[in-house]
Amino acid sequence: MSEVVQFNYSLLVPEYVLAVTAGVVLLADAFRAELKLGRGTVPWMVVAGAVLTVLASIVTAGRTGEFAGLFAVDAFTTFFRVLLAATLAVVVVGSHEFVTKHIRHQGEFYTMLVFATLGGTVMAASRELLTAYIGVELLSFSLYVAVSLAKRDPRSGEAGLKYVLLGGVASATLLYGMSLIYGAAGSTSYGLIAEHLAKDSEGVHMALVLGLAMVIAGLGFKASAVPFHMWTPDAYEGAPLPVTAILSATSKAAAFALILRLFAGPLLPVLRDWQWMIAVISLLTMVFGNLIALQQTNIKRLLAYSSIGQVGFMLMAVVTMSDVSASALLLHLGGYLVTNLAVFMAVIALYNQTGSEEISDMRGLAESNPYLALVIAAGLFSLSGMPLLAGFTTKFILFQAAASGGYLWLVSIAVIMSTVSLYYYLQVVRQMYVLQADGSLIDPQSPDVNGPRWRLTATGYVVTAGLLAGVVFVGLYVSPLAVAANRAAAALFS
Amino acid sequence: MEHFLGLSGVLFALGFYGVLARRSAILILISVELMLAAVSINFITFATYLDPERFTGVIFAIFAITIAAAEVGLALGIVLRLFRDRGTSNVDAADELKW
Repeated sequence: MSEVVQFNYSLLVPEYVLAVTAGVVLLADAFRAELKLGRGTVPWMVVAGAVLTVLASIVTAGRTGEFAGLFAVDAFTTFFRVLLAATLAVVVVGSHEFVTKHIRHQGEFYTMLVFATLGGTVMAASRELLTAYIGVELLSFSLYVAVSLAKRDPRSGEAGLKYVLLGGVASATLLYGMSLIYGAAGSTSYGLIAEHLAKDSEGVHMALVLGLAMVIAGLGFKASAVPFHMWTPDAYEGAPLPVTAILSATSKAAAFALILRLFAGPLLPVLRDWQWMIAVISLLTMVFGNLIALQQTNIKRLLAYSSIGQVGFMLMAVVTMSDVSASALLLHLGGYLVTNLAVFMAVIALYNQTGSEEISDMRGLAESNPYLALVIAAGLFSLSGMPLLAGFTTKFILFQAAASGGYLWLVSIAVIMSTVSLYYYLQVVRQMYVLQADGSLIDPQSPDVNGPRWRLTATGYVVTAGLLAGVVFVGLYVSPLAVAANRAAAALFS
Repeated sequence: MEHFLGLSGVLFALGFYGVLARRSAILILISVELMLAAVSINFITFATYLDPERFTGVIFAIFAITIAAAEVGLALGIVLRLFRDRGTSNVDAADELKW
């Protein structure tokens, strides 16, 4: 039993970089006066850490490691490391001005964002239940705190409270489900669970099905699938905008990373037991998310319900689990992240100017800042799946994968719901392009009459332009992202 | 083994009932703790009866307890923030965000 275990720790450099960044940022902010650091230093340290993480992930991309079946470093992990660290960098750059004005305890705020990213990469890499659980909690705890950090906004504390209480229940449910799966399979390692369940799952069937249901409920909460979505709109609305962006990007991506690892690996032998559960949840999620979105007046809440609808589409690919649909899911996740970040960064820039989150206050934006209106419109069109933009290509491939997996009825409903989503996205576009600030229609003969034009900050331009370019790039030329998604999915099933 | 699993099932159900029925944020937290205690019992039972030569379940239970403690500390901080904003820790007071 006393064999020496040799691990190649250099494969964990991206995680080390993130952890060190979090610690350094926290200390640097605490001793800012003594170190004579400027106000902008701390966020740039976070950005540097995130960029280093991306570079380190790319450098280690070719190599794989197992870490005794606990923690897999492979193409799948690399995909999520790059995605999540890039998200962190973009959000921090794009929200610097917002954070200075509206966040108390900025050092802690940035630390929490970094820890959330770290939790996400751990979730993507874990191949064992305990490791996965620690990743989940690292991500969730950081976000509980980050949600409640808005200055002078009672909604923030309320959102944090709802999120932490419901999150606690969800974690307990997830853990109980994990304990039942451990009881049924006799191990917490994904490899051993798969072996055991492939051999026989008859004798322990009850416990297994109950455990699966509870794990799905817990993970459904993290991914905000209906009927476990209740916290999502409240947390999105109450949280400061950059945190909402992280909630919609990092938290979703990490939840799907964990779902893919779990359901494509150890739970694949018992596909029949969970396939119908996810199919039902996927159906409910896409229907309710999109229908409730129709009546929203707050842009954050609208995006919350729209992201719930998107989760419904993504869950379709989990239902028809195969390497094709996993790759389609990863691709759609990538496209969704770029698009969603573009919308959120534009909304943050808008909020810096107007201080309002109501959709009705976006009236006349096409006049006062045509560029920003264009970014928001392009992002929303991409979310609804308009051709030429990222959302169309990735959604098309996703629907195709689900349809060829034999769930044509689910895909038909998804197509209908996708059309419904166009309606509420267009409502926002209408406010920006058709109405003037006082609510009257724009007169095409004499435009430019009311409302002075205003400009974004330089970083605002750079971030939104970069993301807009990303949205168009993925829409027109999808193959680089598709190749990465394919490789990641292949690693998942190897 | 059935007795232990039964106990844990009852504890989990009681905790879940408490979450739904209690209106004070503190009591809801205690109910969540009850659910997590049920999880620990489950893990230790399975570890003792099914997997006695390794002790994965026990380690899992230790981690679960530690993380649960961290969660309570964090949640109490957020409850304090609500208390400062509204002067109560009753969750019904948190009603500003709807639909």
